[in-house]
Amino acid sequence: MIAHSIFFYFFSIIAVFSAIMVIASQNTVHSVFFLILDFISISCLFIMIGAEFLGMIMLIVYVGAVAVLFLFVVMMLNVAQQKDEWFKGKFFTSHIPFGTLISIIIFLELIIVIGGWKYKPNLIETSSIQIDNNFTNTHALGNVIYTDYIHLFQLAGLILLVAMIGAIVLTYRKREGVKRQSYFRQVSREKAEGVTLVDVKSNKGVNLND
Amino acid sequence: MDQLNLIIPELFLTTSIMILLMLGVFYKNSFNLIFKLSTIVLLATFILLFNHSVDTSATLFNNSYTIDYLSLFMKALTLVACIFVMLSSFDYIKLIGINKIEYPILILSATLGMMIMISSYDLIVFYMGLELQSLSLYVLVSFNRDSYRSTEAGLKYFVLSALSSGLLLYGCSLIYGFSNSTNFDLISQNIDQFNTGSIFGIVFILVGLAFKVSAVPFHMWAPDVYEGSPTSVTAFFAIVPKVAALTVFIRFLYVPFINLVDQWQMIIIFISLASMILGAVAAIGQTNLKRLMAYSAIGHMGYALAGLATGSNEGIQSAVIYLSIYLLMNLGIFSCIFMMKRKDIFYEDIQDLSGLSKNHPIISVCLLVLLFSLAGIPPLAGFFAKFYVFMAVIKVEMYTLAIIGLITTVISAFYYLRIIKIIYFDDPKEIFEIDKNLGLKVSLFLSTIIILIYFIYPSLLIDMVSNINVI
Repeated sequence: MIAHSIFFYFFSIIAVFSAIMVIASQNTVHSVFFLILDFISISCLFIMIGAEFLGMIMLIVYVGAVAVLFLFVVMMLNVAQQKDEWFKGKFFTSHIPFGTLISIIIFLELIIVIGGWKYKPNLIETSSIQIDNNFTNTHALGNVIYTDYIHLFQLAGLILLVAMIGAIVLTYRKREGVKRQSYFRQVSREKAEGVTLVDVKSNKGVNLND
Repeated sequence: MDQLNLIIPELFLTTSIMILLMLGVFYKNSFNLIFKLSTIVLLATFILLFNHSVDTSATLFNNSYTIDYLSLFMKALTLVACIFVMLSSFDYIKLIGINKIEYPILILSATLGMMIMISSYDLIVFYMGLELQSLSLYVLVSFNRDSYRSTEAGLKYFVLSALSSGLLLYGCSLIYGFSNSTNFDLISQNIDQFNTGSIFGIVFILVGLAFKVSAVPFHMWAPDVYEGSPTSVTAFFAIVPKVAALTVFIRFLYVPFINLVDQWQMIIIFISLASMILGAVAAIGQTNLKRLMAYSAIGHMGYALAGLATGSNEGIQSAVIYLSIYLLMNLGIFSCIFMMKRKDIFYEDIQDLSGLSKNHPIISVCLLVLLFSLAGIPPLAGFFAKFYVFMAVIKVEMYTLAIIGLITTVISAFYYLRIIKIIYFDDPKEIFEIDKNLGLKVSLFLSTIIILIYFIYPSLLIDMVSNINVI
């Protein structure tokens, strides 16, 4: 029980602290790092209550995709003066310790949670949620999501559809004068429409009409 | 699943959205077709609403989705308003060049989101509906992406609305944590006033909802978004989402939080007072008609919320009547804005209306009726709307609310009357080109006539609304 509370407060404090740092930090890249730390701490909390599926999804989707995407966007953006600072000069002095610190915390968190989950199951069992051990997490989730919550599942799909339509509407531009390849037309071209036989008179040349 | 026939309108709308999307993608340049089909789909959905009897009251999907008289009435109101907005904005959309097939499809999906919000009886369903609606609205606001103002409005609305959704979600999670359920019935059984956490949750949820109806102090986005977005979207914005937002307000206040009336009543009274005062005062200096309508919307939502603050069935009914009449007046005003066009350029300043009565006497009379009604002058419908609200407020002895409401009505009459003065007494400007568009004319004249003759037969609307018994 005590171990459980210690871990809970450890992760929550890190989560809250890093969430604050996301908006407080001056450097955008640091903000994204803190965001990653926040996601990882929260996924650790999920794993602690026995929702390992949610925790892992959180890691894969948010850390693996969203946060890395953020990182790319931030680096692509021309963050004026910071750009020079980031790539040369004080790089070694200012960023390495910082990055290392966050990496170490993340590493420790993962060791604690995955170690605890794997080797000492009773460490995590004190949560108040009743878990049926005969089912895996994924199985249990699938059981309700396609039955009791089917309308919500469908709605979520519809929301994603709208998001996709929106993204296309707002970014797609029809370019004028682009010559596209049409394989079908290319392959189905006959000799008759591509080749003209011209009777060339000497010293007159050929008169082409295009 | 035997009750699935109760949600046929929603199912039909969902399927139509997908079919229309496919049609639009594979059939090039089909904006006209898709737009007309969407209007027909909305009409068909409206008819399908009456597939089951009016008195049906049922809950579906483990009590998370409710069909009752309130939801039926509000859905019908949403759909009718949406149809008229579509009819009146067709020419505008084509002229300013936002005629892409996605436009009507996004309108349909926003409407679907609103229908789900109206029927929701569970925090998750409510949030899903809200997101579906807001996501479509974000895109619609910035639909004219070549215009800086439209893009700016879209970004502003997105950032602020996402923030408010975050607050709302935080409130929901607090409520879920303290009441152990997301279902409205179970929440009302499980929370009580000694529970500080749930009161925090209520505050956060009310903040999020107040943002959605653009009530003070969460109104900052409204003027900019109304002004920046294309007028067709502004018309949609000013008319349709208010219905869903107010229904959700009614549901939240009177189902899950009914045991905490004393706690939320103060908040609603404050929001209502602040909206009425700001709506009346801030609109005075405006020169842009759309911006003026935004402030007027803020003020009018204040009156509707005053009805909700009473905590009585009468108050709710008066708020619903208020909303219905307000929608009608707004529809008329926006039809007039759609008509202000010379050589394919649309004008939206108040000064452009100068001397309208010389060139366009009929439109001027319509505007006169609509503006008098907005100001609340008898015997027009707008007067009755305010009358019912203040009656309900006085009945529960909230005299301060009533007195301040009446004072702000008088103040706000100033800027409505100023427009009338500009129309009738200023020097005429160039003549506007009037379209042959039937939909636009029908919306304008229908709304004007209903507002004009409402007093002859007021019991029609009152009888319909009096069946709404939430408590």
